Amino acid sequence: MSEYVIEMRHIRKEFPGIVANDDITLQLKKGEIHALLGENGAGKSTLMSVLFGLYQPEEGEILKDGQKVRIHNPNDATALGIGMVHQHFKLIDVFTVLDNIILGAETTKLGFLQKKEARKKVLELSEKYGLKVDIDAKIEDITVGMQQRVEILKMLYRENEILIFDEPTAVLTPQEIEELMEVMRGFAREGKSILFISHKLNEIMAVSDRVTVLHKGKCVGTVNTKDVTKQELSTMMVGRPVQLEIEKKPAEPGDVIFSVENLTVPSKLHKNDAVKNVSFDVRGGEIVCIAGIDGNGQSELVYGITGLEKASSGKITLCGQDISGASIRKRSMTGMSHIAEDRHKHGLILDFTLEQNLVLQKFREKEFQKDGFIKFGAVRKYAERLIDEYDVRSGQGPVTVVRSMSGGNQQKAIIARELDRDEPLVVAVQPTRGLDVGAIEHIHKQLVAERDRGRAVLLVSLEMDEVMSLSDRILVMYEGEIVGELDPEKTNPQELGLYMAGAKRQDKEVE
Amino acid sequence: MYKVDPKTGKQKFYSTAGFQSIASALISILIGLIVGMLIIIFVGLTREEISTKGMLEGVKLVFFGLFNTGRVDNQLTFGFNPVNFGNMLFRGIPLIMTGLSVAVAFKTGLFNIGAPGQYLMSTAATLYVAIVVPTETVPAWLVWVFAFGAGIIAGALWGAIPGLLKATLNINEVITCIMTNWIAANLVTWFFDVRDYLKNSDEAGKIGYIKTTASNGVETAKMGLDKLFPGSQVNGGIVIAIVIAILIYIMMTKTTFGYKLKACGSNRHAAKYAGINDKASIIASMAIAGGLAGAGASLYYLSGHTEFYWSTYMSLPAEGFNGIPVALLASNHPIGVIFAGIFMSLLNIDGLMIKSLTAYNEYIADIIIASIVYLSAFAMIVKQVIGRKGRKAGNTNVNDEPDPALLEAQRAAAKAAMQVEANDAEPAPAEEEGGNK
Repeated sequence: MSEYVIEMRHIRKEFPGIVANDDITLQLKKGEIHALLGENGAGKSTLMSVLFGLYQPEEGEILKDGQKVRIHNPNDATALGIGMVHQHFKLIDVFTVLDNIILGAETTKLGFLQKKEARKKVLELSEKYGLKVDIDAKIEDITVGMQQRVEILKMLYRENEILIFDEPTAVLTPQEIEELMEVMRGFAREGKSILFISHKLNEIMAVSDRVTVLHKGKCVGTVNTKDVTKQELSTMMVGRPVQLEIEKKPAEPGDVIFSVENLTVPSKLHKNDAVKNVSFDVRGGEIVCIAGIDGNGQSELVYGITGLEKASSGKITLCGQDISGASIRKRSMTGMSHIAEDRHKHGLILDFTLEQNLVLQKFREKEFQKDGFIKFGAVRKYAERLIDEYDVRSGQGPVTVVRSMSGGNQQKAIIARELDRDEPLVVAVQPTRGLDVGAIEHIHKQLVAERDRGRAVLLVSLEMDEVMSLSDRILVMYEGEIVGELDPEKTNPQELGLYMAGAKRQDKEVE
Repeated sequence: MYKVDPKTGKQKFYSTAGFQSIASALISILIGLIVGMLIIIFVGLTREEISTKGMLEGVKLVFFGLFNTGRVDNQLTFGFNPVNFGNMLFRGIPLIMTGLSVAVAFKTGLFNIGAPGQYLMSTAATLYVAIVVPTETVPAWLVWVFAFGAGIIAGALWGAIPGLLKATLNINEVITCIMTNWIAANLVTWFFDVRDYLKNSDEAGKIGYIKTTASNGVETAKMGLDKLFPGSQVNGGIVIAIVIAILIYIMMTKTTFGYKLKACGSNRHAAKYAGINDKASIIASMAIAGGLAGAGASLYYLSGHTEFYWSTYMSLPAEGFNGIPVALLASNHPIGVIFAGIFMSLLNIDGLMIKSLTAYNEYIADIIIASIVYLSAFAMIVKQVIGRKGRKAGNTNVNDEPDPALLEAQRAAAKAAMQVEANDAEPAPAEEEGGNK
């Protein structure tokens, strides 16, 4: 018996123009949590897709318990006990949790589903591992965190022994991340082996036993987590020393650029208001951060501010103009950039090319059209400039279909488009979600640079680190209300956590 | 999906999207024709009244019916047949227009299955204006323009209804389109039923027909095409249809308006986020689609000699549904629609030739044509197969997900195929009469 449950030896996977995996060797021990670290596009997902049978490698071999195996498709992988939680969940929105879990592995009798047994088994698993799910709810009605637990239960239901987690924490709240890590540790104790793909150093340090680092398709090395520091890992991953803490000068707030008075936004999910009577100002030259646990009204607040949803009452003022009832376009023209929370839903048109996406608001301006005809030359030139300035990487430059770009570069494209519009207010909602440290560093620097140029930045973030390092003022949202205003210099993550959890609140008078 | 030349860094010709579309359309057509041929052979072998010679003639006509010049000494002769060519172009007009209608809607994320209704509403509006406005006082060309405009407007308004419901209440346009189709069928039948002065009472045996527009002196100009194709029905309508297709192509690809519509169709949320009025865009898309289908009906009936059989008891015009396979065959490309529309009408001509020159009866001919149409609509699937070959080697996207556009296309193809099937099962008297006068 081999020491390793899974060994991937000298894997090479090429795509035209790109060697996604170049001679990568990965060895997974039984009962360990093995992290796979690398930037966006370093080849982590490709390697896992090879293991899961989605791609065939050009060279190299895969061994299971020392035996050479061929994995042609995901069914082969499942048969070998390999399960995967994909970064973008593979769930059917209109099916219930139970239906999704048993899909493809249904027990039937004479062609009829035997849901009772399945239900019992799922409930047992859910109990055993502390994976709370609402078994009869439809996927579309449950939170992203619960959807992920459904994906995990899917693997457990199939009795997989090797669990691959592809960027599992990208969509989770700090509490959910904590819970997930506990679950993962539980799996490892039981002898299951876990491959954990991530680029979040904190999590890797916290949960993994060993780390394999990839950089530009090559394996940089495998190390024991306890022998390295965060700084060392990040240097291995990016190939250069990275500033983990952003350097910034003290803010010099100017005039009030944007203010919200008594804003109330109804919820789409329930009858209560998602945002209740919220008031705040943002001045030029400062970064104001809305902190809070996901689902406490931050998204709705942003919808209300940007006009994606109608606010039921309240006044919004931007650059001295009342924009409370204005259209989205009017708001954006008055001086608002918006880096949207959901880049696939709101931020981009995935089937359009990069250049078409970069002029999504600007195409109507004189610069890009004449008598209703698009000036393709001007669009191309503009796109090339943005791509260059903001370092947006893609296969074919301006004509790349955005769908084919990596998540990090999609986000860079949105940021390029929004920041280049040069509006006095930037509303940035989770601008670094799902990005690696290199890209995060880049985006943070840009936001600070915009602040220093005198623009007002309203940042909504779920990441504690980001909130603490980037903001000049922190507003904590809890159940639709702003429960506290904190100075990042004078507070600490613990205190912030108490506000976020609703355990502490300031009185309204304290401004 | 893309193959790149390692030296120049440019996309290889055979891997461009355009080439794949054209290749897949041609392959589908070929498959359709071969299946049509197989049906001819199968029927020929099983029916006693069809001789081996007749069977071979049938096969010839499937492929070369357009070039048939009749029968001399009991042998089919082939050559340039101006009547067939002209009629093919003429009958292509409504197919091009309804094809454009469906294609524009597809490009903007909508499935316009309401073309038959829009076509009917426009037929009524066009005929009414062209027959009622007296040419003694108003110049005939102006009446023509009014009638054409009325047809487009009627189609556009009828198309805008599903658009409005989709935009404001988020009701699926497929459902509302189907319902408005039948409303249109009833409405138009009733409209003519109560207006005796529009009915053709001059000629005996023409019960149930509406007057031709020529009876009021309104006809589309021939633009010299009658000299080119003497004896056929062709007129300037085909030129107008081609010009409209080119204008639509320009609108969709070169203008901010087209960009807006496409943005809205590809991702309504992102369009809204960018400050595009998504509701207005959806309504505009459907109105344009309706207007195009309407223009098809106008051009068809304004030829002057095509007759509308009003007493159709609520059947829907085949041209409307046939727009769907035309659009699919053309991969929703407005210029491609011109060729796809003419090809569909070529099949009609082939069917007529088979019917009139061989022992195959009209139903067999219809089945053959229907199966060719059916298979041609699979162009999208063929394209997917071609694309997949390229994709295997060429995909650089490591986080690959199934392409929703392709899934959408597959679904649309299946839907269209169902419609064509349903449609072919129905008798379509209106179309028969138009061509066979």
